[in-house]
Amino acid sequence: MTSITVPKVKKTKAQVSELRQKRRAELWRRIKRNKMIYLMILPGIVYFLIFRYLPMYGLIISFQDYKPYLGITGSDWVGFAHFERLFTSPEFWTIFRNTLMLFGLQIFVYFPIPIIISLMLNEVRHTFFKRGIQTLIYVPHFMSWVVIVSISFVMLTLDGGIVNSLLEVLGLDKINFLMNADWFRPIYILQVIWREAGWGTIVFLAAITAVDPQLYEAAKIDGANRFKQMWHVTLPSIRSVIIVLLILKIGNVLELGFEHVYLLLNASNRNVGEIFDTYVYVAGLQQGQFSYSAAVGFFKGIVGLIMVVVANRLAKAFNEEGIY
Amino acid sequence: MLKSRKMLIGLMLLLLSLLLIACNNESASSDADKKDAEGSEQAGASEGDEEPFEFTIMANLHTPEVPATTTLEEIEKITNTKIEIQWVPDNNYEDRLNTAFATNTLPEAVFLKNQATFIQFRDAIQDGQFWELDSYLDQFENLQKLKENVQDNTRVDGKLYSLYQGRPLSRQGIIYRKDWADNLGLEAPTTTDDFFEMARAFTEDDPDQNGQNDTFGVTDRDDLIYGAFKAAASWFNTPNNWGEADGELLPEFMFDEYLQTMDYFKELHSNGYINQDFPVTSKVDQQELFKNGSAGIYVGSMGDVNSLYTDAVAINPDIELDVHNYVEGPTGEYGIWAIPGYGNMVMFPKSSVETEEDLLKILTFFDQMMTPEVMNYAYWGIEGVHYEVVEGRALPTEDSALMDREVRPYQGIEIGEPETNGRFEGYFEYEPKAKSEDLFIDNESYLIEDPTIPLYSETFTRDGARLQQIITDATYQYILGQIDEDGFQAAIDNWKSQGGQNIIDEFNASN
Repeated sequence: MTSITVPKVKKTKAQVSELRQKRRAELWRRIKRNKMIYLMILPGIVYFLIFRYLPMYGLIISFQDYKPYLGITGSDWVGFAHFERLFTSPEFWTIFRNTLMLFGLQIFVYFPIPIIISLMLNEVRHTFFKRGIQTLIYVPHFMSWVVIVSISFVMLTLDGGIVNSLLEVLGLDKINFLMNADWFRPIYILQVIWREAGWGTIVFLAAITAVDPQLYEAAKIDGANRFKQMWHVTLPSIRSVIIVLLILKIGNVLELGFEHVYLLLNASNRNVGEIFDTYVYVAGLQQGQFSYSAAVGFFKGIVGLIMVVVANRLAKAFNEEGIY
Repeated sequence: MLKSRKMLIGLMLLLLSLLLIACNNESASSDADKKDAEGSEQAGASEGDEEPFEFTIMANLHTPEVPATTTLEEIEKITNTKIEIQWVPDNNYEDRLNTAFATNTLPEAVFLKNQATFIQFRDAIQDGQFWELDSYLDQFENLQKLKENVQDNTRVDGKLYSLYQGRPLSRQGIIYRKDWADNLGLEAPTTTDDFFEMARAFTEDDPDQNGQNDTFGVTDRDDLIYGAFKAAASWFNTPNNWGEADGELLPEFMFDEYLQTMDYFKELHSNGYINQDFPVTSKVDQQELFKNGSAGIYVGSMGDVNSLYTDAVAINPDIELDVHNYVEGPTGEYGIWAIPGYGNMVMFPKSSVETEEDLLKILTFFDQMMTPEVMNYAYWGIEGVHYEVVEGRALPTEDSALMDREVRPYQGIEIGEPETNGRFEGYFEYEPKAKSEDLFIDNESYLIEDPTIPLYSETFTRDGARLQQIITDATYQYILGQIDEDGFQAAIDNWKSQGGQNIIDEFNASN
């Protein structure tokens, strides 16, 4: 507000304050007029202030040698020492690479799948069948990662898991899925798809219902078959939804599911599976290095922010709406 | 339209106000608690010992559920205290401990879980965040009885900050299927070769005689220390964590014996004599393989024989188990690694125990705990309900669910050991369990001690746990055949360059 009230033409103090008052009155008038709407967003604002902004105060400890009993006010300042330690640690690039790899899998492998499923479901004519499928594929979303990972474990273990028993019956060699670094990423992304793909279709299906039926009629008259209708009508119509979701997904770039990855980690796959979230947990909560892990988390947050801004810019460059 | 809008707004407001009330109540009630606590503390101070002294203990919980307070009430009555115990599941005790420490909300008496967590708190201890106890213990008749040599193992810079919970120095050994061994004409293994032969025979010679190839030898889990690996390493005479070579202290994994143990496991693994996924097998799954008759050998705490038997006999009534400790390696000598005489310890943060007076009251409680009268309540429960006295020992009730619900968790707040606190030793009707108790004592003649217990290394305190991960991972990878000796050497070099060399230097300098 204040920055707007500094025009190039010099004004007296009285004028400035008068202008300010006017603006303030205008703002109040608008708020009053739409008070119900403002009231409705209030819980959201309160939520963000309390749970998202207030805790940022704690980031201060990443520049300190934080000792709990001395508190934030009493601990010594160490500047960027913890960041230096992070960037010079030999693990840094491994973790960075692993995080980006899993992120890449999320964007390039997982992200298109709910879209494809939605498009396919949209072509199903039998409503009962369609509803049934939809409900069934939502279910895994409500299972915790512990359950998903445990079920995978039981299926994949060498000591009597069904997948390996099947391979054995077929006369193939057993595969050590759990203790092999090469299998970590495929297992990770398959589990993500298993759990989230169904849930992810909700928004796309909703967007598809909103497509104007006249467009399909026009396309049919022009001789488009079902595939062409999908390609030239459905997909372009939900493009903006796809892009918004993509940007939001990128915003979560480094939220790869701590629980999930942590449960999958073991001695053989740590060099491909350790990501920032698990590193923060081990260093901070298990080994008590609060300041260092705060610094790692801070760094992760900054990377996420940069990604969102870049993605949003890109979206705007292609004349899409973006998220802000 | 208007009506529904109003209703919607009303609903929103209702929700919001409920939320606010909820937040408000919580802070109000915790304030009230605090005031109560403060009030009674002051009262306790002014009126002498009439008012029960209130304080909180944080302890680890080894059972799935928080226990009933039946026995705690008895303890409170005798000691004239009012105790709140914050039970934290043992699995995530470190998390909770560190979180409580980070937010300055540690209670008055804090159990630390084990040596590793104790090492983490070394900094804070040196900074004077916990009460030093040396000058107070003289005043307490029973606390004085705590063993000097075990206390020495818990000293920081020569000062005592904790009361320890005693544990037999080494409970490691073998539990095996006696019936299978008898079927195959095998004796308890006394050499590592015998052990290997038993694992082979249990895998290949159909020990359960059902005509099917459905058994294997050793069941192990994702734990190189309390699982089979470290016990087997001791048979090969590997040092316990650190050992001396040419007058210099070096970590165990730089010794040839460690490599021999890894080769031994590699062979067990590649032949299929051990569960193939042991590096990712949980303790529950590991024991399940033993109970359901898939595997015949379990290496770990021999005391587990009781619970293994109870569950296994429900599946197969003909099962017979036995315990054994003595296994000599290629050198012809048996050795077994030892813990420093304590399993857990309790400390008193200055942030919550604010005055000397309060500290003395808490110590008085623990002093009373160390009498047979109170300790038997804590450890065995109420006589006639939870246990009977047989031949001067306690025989717990057969209703193990009742024990789990009302007694067993409180064993976690024991101080000292039967020798010093005078509680009953256990009486075991199940013969192998009784034998395991004897073997704990037998083990004491063959102990391999960790020479770094009284030493200090700053790097080890800060980075030890993280660095150990490198070695743990490499050890598994070697056993699975994913890396060779050069690969393992590379891991050691990596360990050294990331701070391991400093640890070696620092330990040697303080030796």
